[in-house]
Formats: sequence, C-alpha cells, structure tokens
Amino acid sequence: MTAATAPAIHADPGGLGTLRLLVRALRYVAPFRRRFAQKLALLLASMLPLLVLPWPAKIVLDHVIEGIPIGAQARPYPTPVAALLDGLVGQEPVWILLAVVGFQLALVALFGAAGSGSSERDSADAYLSSGQDQATRTDNEANAGFSVTSGLLGLFDLRFTIRLTQAVNHHYRGRLFERIQALPLATFDDQRIGDAVFRVLYDTPAITSAVYRILLTPVAAGAFALAVVATLRSLYGDHPVLWQAGAALLGIGFAVALPFAGMLRRRSLAARGASAAATSSLEEGLANVLAVQGLGAESHARGHFDRASWGSFQSHRALVGLGMIIFLAALGPALWVATRVFGYVAGLVIEGELSRGDFLLLFTYYLMLAFACVELGSLWLRVQEAAAGLSRVFFLMDLPSEQEAPGVATLAPLASEVRIEDAHFAFADGTRALRGVSLALRVGEVTALVGPAGAGKTTLAYLLPRFLEPQAGRVHFDGVDVRTATRASLRAQVSFVFQETALFDATVEENLRLAKPGASETELRRAARNAGADEFIRALPEGYRTPLGRSGGKLSGGQRQRLAIARALLRDPRVLILDEPTSALDAETEQRLVEALREASRERAVLVIAHRLSTVRHADRIAFLEAGRIIESGSHDELMARPGGAYRRFVELQRPDAD
Amino acid sequence: MTPAESSAALAALGRGGARDRLSFALARLLLRRCLSLLRPIRRHLLLFFAGFSALALAFVPLGILLYDAFWTRALQGNSLLELEASLLGLDPAVFAAGPALTPSERQQVLARVIAVGLGFGLVATPLALALYYYQVWILQRLNQVLRVQILERLQQLSLRFHADSKIGDALFRTLQDSAMVTQLIEVLILVPLAALGRFAFGLLVVAAFDWRIALGLFALMPPLVGIATLFGRPLRVGFRHARETNAELTSRIQETLAGIRVIKAYGAEGFEQRRFEAASSGAFAAAFDARARFGLLTIALFWVTAAGVVLGTAAAALLASRGEPLHAFGAVGVAAWSLGLFNYFKLRLGDGSSSLRRAFRTWGAAQDVTIGLDRVFELLDLEPEVKQAPGAIPLPPLERVVRFEGVQFRYQPDRPALEGVDFEARAGSVVAIIGPTGSGKSTLMSLLLRLFDPGAGRITIDGVDLRQLQLDSLRSGIAVALQENLLFGASVRDNIRFAVPGASDDAVRAAAHVAAADDFIAALPEGYDTLLGERGTKLSTGQRQRLSIARAVLKDARILILDEPTAALDAETELRVLERVAAWGRGRLIFLITHRLSTIRHADLILVLREGRIVESGTHAQLLARGSVYAGLARQEGAAKPSDASLAAAMDRA
Repeated sequence: MTAATAPAIHADPGGLGTLRLLVRALRYVAPFRRRFAQKLALLLASMLPLLVLPWPAKIVLDHVIEGIPIGAQARPYPTPVAALLDGLVGQEPVWILLAVVGFQLALVALFGAAGSGSSERDSADAYLSSGQDQATRTDNEANAGFSVTSGLLGLFDLRFTIRLTQAVNHHYRGRLFERIQALPLATFDDQRIGDAVFRVLYDTPAITSAVYRILLTPVAAGAFALAVVATLRSLYGDHPVLWQAGAALLGIGFAVALPFAGMLRRRSLAARGASAAATSSLEEGLANVLAVQGLGAESHARGHFDRASWGSFQSHRALVGLGMIIFLAALGPALWVATRVFGYVAGLVIEGELSRGDFLLLFTYYLMLAFACVELGSLWLRVQEAAAGLSRVFFLMDLPSEQEAPGVATLAPLASEVRIEDAHFAFADGTRALRGVSLALRVGEVTALVGPAGAGKTTLAYLLPRFLEPQAGRVHFDGVDVRTATRASLRAQVSFVFQETALFDATVEENLRLAKPGASETELRRAARNAGADEFIRALPEGYRTPLGRSGGKLSGGQRQRLAIARALLRDPRVLILDEPTSALDAETEQRLVEALREASRERAVLVIAHRLSTVRHADRIAFLEAGRIIESGSHDELMARPGGAYRRFVELQRPDAD
Repeated sequence: MTPAESSAALAALGRGGARDRLSFALARLLLRRCLSLLRPIRRHLLLFFAGFSALALAFVPLGILLYDAFWTRALQGNSLLELEASLLGLDPAVFAAGPALTPSERQQVLARVIAVGLGFGLVATPLALALYYYQVWILQRLNQVLRVQILERLQQLSLRFHADSKIGDALFRTLQDSAMVTQLIEVLILVPLAALGRFAFGLLVVAAFDWRIALGLFALMPPLVGIATLFGRPLRVGFRHARETNAELTSRIQETLAGIRVIKAYGAEGFEQRRFEAASSGAFAAAFDARARFGLLTIALFWVTAAGVVLGTAAAALLASRGEPLHAFGAVGVAAWSLGLFNYFKLRLGDGSSSLRRAFRTWGAAQDVTIGLDRVFELLDLEPEVKQAPGAIPLPPLERVVRFEGVQFRYQPDRPALEGVDFEARAGSVVAIIGPTGSGKSTLMSLLLRLFDPGAGRITIDGVDLRQLQLDSLRSGIAVALQENLLFGASVRDNIRFAVPGASDDAVRAAAHVAAADDFIAALPEGYDTLLGERGTKLSTGQRQRLSIARAVLKDARILILDEPTAALDAETELRVLERVAAWGRGRLIFLITHRLSTIRHADLILVLREGRIVESGTHAQLLARGSVYAGLARQEGAAKPSDASLAAAMDRA
C-alpha cells in the first residue's frame, strides 16, 4: 500500500481545488449535454408565461373593479398585452372579466399559473420528506425533479428532469462502483465497507446537484432577471432604483458567498464523513452480530453506534447552524435594499405617479428580480455542499487501481512451471513480509508452504494471482513475467482458496458457478465430489439449490471450506492455491482432501499452505518459510534427514508423545 | 416464536401488501406507536410549541395592523383608525381625525409602517431561526432513539434471522426508513392541522364577505378528497417499492465489497458490475414511478385549487365592480365592496385554497412517511427467540457444575442438530468436545450461551435452568473464543478489551501473554495501539486467533469456551497457548471444541459427537482402551509413521 491508499478522511480541496472539481464534473456529464440543453430550453420556455402573470390582476383591478375603460389607464400596456386587449375595447366589465378568466384558466391548465400571487402560481416538484442527517437528504438529490411551472408543461418538465437526473447519477455511481472493485486488494484493508456504500449511494448525487446549479441557475436566473429589468424599463424606465436594487442584491450575494464558502464546504465534508462513519459502524456491527451476541458485547457495540450516529447528527446540525448564520449575514443588507425600494415605490403612489395596481405590479416584479439576483450572486456558496460530495467521490475514483499497463497480452495457460524469483515485499506501514524469496511450482507437483504463523506464507501466495506486487523480484509463468500479461488471463488460470471462506447469500449452485458461470450440473457435482462436499450438499434440504444464507451461515466451518475448495476445482485452473484448507476439517475429511489434491496435481501446479503435518507430509516438495525467507526446501524425507533442521523440529512438535 | 412462525414473519417482511390498503388506519397505528417514542422528549416538544405559538400569535395582529395601515391608509390616503394610530405611535389627533391624510402624513405613516415592520422582523427572525434550530435538535434526538432501538432489536434476533436477512436491508431500515420519524410530527400533525386551520379561517372570512363564494370555496373539498383517494394506494405501493429496491441496492453493494477477495480471485468483477447496474436501474425506475405519481398529484391538486381561486376572484371582482353590498351574515364595518376589501378578500381566498392544497400535498408526502415507518416497525415487531423470563435471577456465583439433560435442538424442523445430549461438566476441569464437522459441536456451545433454547431437555448451571437466568448475567459469566475470529477495525488493545472496555493495560498484557500473543503484538509497528484493518485483516489468521483467545481470557469468566482455538496455529505455538491457558484456567471450567486430537489428550472429559449425538465419552486413556470411534480417529491423526490402516478400515470400526 502506498500513501495514496491512506484512510478515507481527506483534506479540503480549497477554493481553487473546488473550481477544478466543478470543471471536472462538467466534463464528466458532457455525454449528456444534449439533454441538458433540452432542459435549459424547457426552463426558458417555462419562464415566458411568468412575465405575463401580473397583468390579469392589474387588468381586473383597473378595468373591472375601478371601471376605467381600456386605453384610459395611467400607463400604456406593452404591445403584446395591448394587442390582446384590443378586442375588448369598449366592452362591458363582465365580458372583460370573462375573457380574463378564460385566459387564466387556460394558463392554469397549461402552465399551472393564473397570476403572480403565491396562491395562483405553483411550481412542480417531486421532493419527498427527508431526515435530519446527511445520508437521508440525498435521495431527493439523486432523483431531483423540478419545474418552474406546473400544469401540463410542468408535468412534462418534471418527468423529463427526473429522468435526466437519474441517468446522470446512474452513470456516475456505476463508474464509481467499477473503480472501487478495481482497487488493489491491499486498499480494502483500510477502507470501511460502510464508507464505500455511503459514497456510492449518497455522495454521488452531488454531481447533478452541482451541474444543475452551474448550468441551469445562471441561465435561468440571469435570463429572468434581464427580462424583468427590460420589462420594467420599458414600462417605468425612469426609475433606475429598481434595477439598481437588483444589482445591489447580486453584489450582496457575492459578498456573502466569499467568506463563507470555504467554511460551508468544510462543514459539509465533515457532515458527510460523520454520516459515513455512522454507516460503517452500523455495518460492522451487523456483519459481526453473531460474534457480538456470543461475546455478550451488545451494549458495547450499541454504544459505539450510538456515538457515531449522534456525531453525524451533530455534524449536520452544525451545517444547519452555519446556513442560518450565512442567512443572517445576508439579511441585513438585503432588507435595507428591499426597504429602500419599498419606500420609494410607495412614495410614488402617494405622490400620485403610480396607481396602487402599479405598486402591486412593480413590487411583485421587484421580488422576482430580487430572488433571481440573490440566487445568482450566491451561486458559489450553493455549490459548496455539492463540491464536498464530488471531492469524496473523485478521491476514491482517483486511487490507484489495478490498471493494466499498456501493451499487455493474454497469458498462455501454464505448461510447466511457475517461478517466484527473489521477491521482496513490505507493507505500507513498513512491515517487511518477504525478504528475497524464491520458489518454484511445477505442474504435476504438490508444493507445501510451511512455517510459523506470520512468516509471510499468505503474502507470498498472494503474489501469484497478483493480489500484491512485490517491490523487487519477479513472478514468471513458463518464463513469462506476469506483469506483461493481463490480470484477467492470469486470474483465470489461478484458483485461490482463502483461509476465511467467503460464500455469498445465494444457493450452493450459484456460489459454485461464481467460478465458472456456465458450468453444467455434472461439472458441479464432479468438483464437489473431489472436494468431499457432494455428500453433505445432497443432504441439504434442497440439495444444490439450497440457499446458504448470509456468508453461508447455515453451514458448519468445515462444510464451508469444502464448498470453497469445490468452487476452486470447478474452474479447472492451472494453478491451485489453498491457504490452510484443512484447518477446520477433521482427520478423515482431511485425508480425503489430501488425496483429491494429489489427483488434482496431475494436471496442474498445486500450492498448499498449512501447519498440519498430515496435510503436508505427502507433498512433493516442502518449503519452510520463516521471517520472510525460505530456509529449507525438499521432500518430507529429505528434510527429516537433516539433523536440527527447522522442518524436523516442526514435525516433532506435532507428533504426539509416546503413549 | 417457533421456527415456522419466524420464517413466516421473515417472509412477510417488506411485503406490506395487505397493509397498504389501509391509509388512515395505518397512520393512526403508526402514530400510536410513535407516541411512546415522543414521550421522552415531550418537555422539549412543549417548549417548542410554546415558542412557536408565541411567535405566530405575535405575528397575526401585527400583520393585520401593518397591512391595513399600509394599503388602505398610506397608499390610498384614508385616515388611520384611532387604535391604529396609537399602536403605531402616531398622534391620533393628527392621523385619525378627518377623512383623509395629506401626502406628507401618508409618507409619515409609510415610514412608521416600515420602521415597525423592520423592527419586528429584526427581532423575530433570529428568534425564529433559533426555534428552527431547536426543532432540528428535537427531531434528531427522536431519530437517534429509534435508530438505537432498531439496532438493539437486531442484536437480539438469532442466527435464524440473520442467516436469512441481508445487511443492506437492515442498514436501510435503520438509517433511511427510520429517518421518517423526523417527519412524523410535521407531516402527520403540524402541517395538516395548520393548513386546515388556515383554510377554515379563510373560509370564515370569505363567508363574511359573500356566502356564495364561500360555498364555492368549500366545494373545492370533494374533488380534492377524490383526487387524494384516487392517488392513495398507488402512492403507497410506489413508495414501498422504491424503498425496497433501494434497500436491495444497498445490499448488493455491501455484499460485493464484503466478498471482494473472492470476486477478484475469480475475475467476477464484470459479473458483479452488471448485477449492480441492474439493481441501480431497478431502484431508479421505482423511484421514478413513485415520484412521477407524486408530482402528478401535486399538479392535479393545483388545477383544482387554482381554478377555484380564479373563479372566486372573478366573482368577487364582479361584485366589487358593481359596488354591491356584501352578502354577509352579521357583517360589521364596511357595507359595500371596495378595492381594499377586494384585495383583502383575494388574499384570504388565495391563502385558504393554498392551505388546502398544502394539506393534501402533505398528505401525499405522508404516504411515504408511513411506509418508511411501517418498515421500521416490521423489524421492531420481530420477536427475539430467546427472551429473558420475568423474574430472572442472576448467574449463581460459584458455578460448580454445568449439566446438559436430554437436550435436543433443531435449526429446521426436519434436520436435528442435537439429539439426546446428556453430560455433566465440573468446574476445575477441561472438557473437550470432538467430532467431525457438522456434528453439532458449535451448536452445543450456542445453547450454553443461550443464543437458542433447546427444543427439548434443559441445561442447568448449579441446578438452575438457563431459562431462569438473566441473559446478560449469564453471558458475562461465559467467555468465548470463536471459530471465526471476528475482530474489528480498532486498535489491538481495543479489540482485546472488547467485552471489558475498562480493563487496564496490565490486564490486557497479561491476557495477551496467556494467549501467547504478546510477542507478535510487541513486534507490531505500534504495539498495542496498532490499528487493525476492517475485520482485522492486517494480521495472519493465527495471530487473529490468539487475539480472540486473549479477548476471552481478559473477560476472566469462570466458564471458558474455546471453539477451534488453535486451528491455524503451528504445533509449537499451539502447545504454548494450550499450556498457558490450562495454567491460567485452573479452577475454571474450560470447554474445548476441536477435531485435532493432539490438543486434547490431557482433557478431563472428552465427548465424542457424531451427527448430533454423544457416542462416546471418557478420558483419553479410557476412550483409547474402548477402541472405538475415538481410537479410530486417534489412529488417523496421530500416526508416527505413514498410516497402514486404510481409511475404510478405520471407518469400518466406527
């Protein structure tokens, strides 16, 4: 492991780093650009009706209630509106009213808006309730659907948007998952499963969050603000206070964003990290629940989760608090601006320059403008939380994975020999596991790797399928350096049976077929027979179709081990590696397995790591590993003949005392 | 709960199904259950409501005052009412006398309105924010309590449940589904009540203006209720499906990552990737359906209420244009429609219908909340198999003898795991239990720990049936080193201290010494403070095994169970460990489960298990003399020369 695989807590990317992250996010969604463009178009189209909205109310106010004939009101209407009203000149108020009502109802049906009051307008969204913790809020993000309008257009827009959000998120988390799977085995030691689950499910939605803010908000808010200003100017052009106020709000938005952006981002990183830690704590506690029960440590485990969970809530609350502070900071200046506008426009009404209907209109427009400007100005602030999520996802994606070097070829099936030459390996924390080990495995032979615990046997075996890379030394398959071959072709011919068997929550068949997806029933049975597993499998309630339960929890330790061996044999590998295959087996099963391995070794190279004499004594060659070095090798008899030899000592300790 | 009931309960888990038909009944059920959750925080709830109400109540009269002063007085020019003038701090003699105000007076009123409004805003806003923060805290507390309750329940459930369930599903319920409890008060109580309240208020005001329009407003209810009923079941089904598929996805990820080594070894990454993408698509499809339906609901609601507002406003406009008198019942004040009245009316009408819309929209969101909570309670309602009897007593201190009397146990109805097990074990002895894999050795110990109760027969300690003992007292009296050495991603020290968190460093070191682990720990980069990886993966199996033993030793219990403790150890280390454990364990009762005879020749009692029955028992010498199964096994394993006796011969004798 290198420093890059250091634990998941990572640093704040900083302001510049955030910019880079956002650019990267944009580039990432480039394949979806057409759909984003369509969304933008929908957005702009749905804003058009909004400009018309204040007019019906004004028309009703002036021409119906106050009875002013059309054309005689204080200020002329903009051309489109005037054009529409042309047909109504001279009509009774009733007819004007009916026309307006009809128009409004049509607007409601199509655009979900009849006027600019909050009761007359709605936007469509599909946001559901969320909780008070980071993880629980992202479901809305991942499936975000929103439209500025309601009605038929809103419905279409909403569905379109949800699909777009989901498409991007599906793509993004699929890629993250792929990268995680491709991480080297060593990295998984330090990563927490719960944290990884969190990133895949709850950090990835940040991408659509960020992109929507960057792409849609400026365009929408900007276009809207400009349209409002243009309209105001054409109607009330000589009141610059209004759009000056808008500009001021823009400035306020910027000003507030700058000092708080970094803080917000860091708080968000912390909140996400805390929530991920809570997920990890829970996952670990659940995965180990049976041990916890057996050890009577339930309250200890609960206490751990309790702390982690409350920590995540606290973190989230801190984020909420920060949001409030930011809001208050912006509130002061914003209120001052709003007050000025309010007072100014009201003053105009008092002086008789504007009617009260005008006031309504103007102030409504002003509020719309204000909202758009604040949105725009504080954009930088609003992307910070998403940036935190992006940071966490890209971090994981950027970890060095098991990349194929350029120019690698498929490895030919092993014909004669695997050779490890002078391998040196040390872990990231400096522990030296292998100090110049050389070993040869030949087809047709069973090689046993023996030695005290912690000598490095498993580490050595991990070199063969390239789970670990030696810092020095090489591994050759028939003389071909494995680094010049693809990992897939290498692993296709190496079957590794781990010390702790990993079975999945699936049927026996499915577990076996993991090794060879297209295997026939006969093949399955044969492999199981050879591993001594066929008998007990057939004794299960549904035989090969019996579900195994989580981690194969319904089988005993020995049964799981035999099943894992069967799986390894099913693949018909050229190299078979077994790490402590007999530790959970009783003597008679062990004997059967040893014989099966002997059979198997006729056509392949077999490496067995074991402690037990009974397992290794019949191996063709025994290599004794101690403190990262092979100090003896030979057959059982050869090694026994050495006086004071390490192997001989090892054997003698295992022999029962004379009865 | 019998095994059959347990399986049935498990199968029903997550299938809601019939329960989705009920809606109000379901909500009521959930509310009742949640009341017990609310009890611990009721004081906070009351405090919050008090603050909220105070703020709201302050706002209403002030709002009316400011609105009227601004719209009808400052903008239109009418004189203030005496009350208004005094409240605003203006001289009634100037502002309330005469029919109209001069422009400069109107400016003054305007200024005063702005000042009062701002003043109130500046005071109220931080208060409102503080109140909101408090609300967040309360809801988080609520959620936290529920989360821990769920974990507690999960810990109580037995192997039977855990073998059949998925971690991802439990994760989802504990973290995501339980979050719905924070919405409980808001969505099921607050919003509906507030919204309906405002609707009622709006209705009354509108009725005061014109009862015909009020009737029209009220007539919005039936279509809205109709829409809500129409959408009810489809929404619930959709939400449940969305949650299930997301839980499934969580499981998928967790399982892949937990078994990543095997996946890599077999090059099955591509296969797992495809499964992930299928699960992801499935989850998204379900979410789309649920949310699109919800979106349609909100749009449909809007159509109805907006139409109502438009028509209602138009009717009022018509009346106002004709200057008609108000058709009010017992109206006071103004007798005819005016612009000011019209605007106020419009406000109330709009507000009333929005409130109605909000109530129904919230009802739609409430469906998701109820489904989430239902999933939580499904889990909480599972009965643990092993329950502490009322009146249970603590473990007797001396623990002289453990007896198994005619014990029978089955994991599943048709597969007996233990049959007719009878033996007696005394303190101060080492009892070895041997037998082929699957013969029931580990099951025997699970029963001693009361992870299950026997189907027939009983187990006693000093004559007291286990079922009469307090569970945690029993379990703290027994220390276990398991076959799977489950360690955690914590420091070596903390792993050893797992069951005894307050143990001193010396105690930890002593325990490590007994387990012959102290030498390799000292050689680790940071000694006892070295962090182990996830599931303790940085150590070799033999090292992990010894840590497990150290952990059990530290507990200093009078009964010790070692399940295959030395399987991964080489002979030398194994000898050391056994010697030290035996020395440490003098006076205690040690159960040693193994199938390696070399470890047990000095045991005081050896039980030979085969297919769930004790076929032989005695000391090593006795069993060898009887020349049966045990002898056969001994011969198999301990041969000093390559064995002549064939496997078949040994089996024949058995």
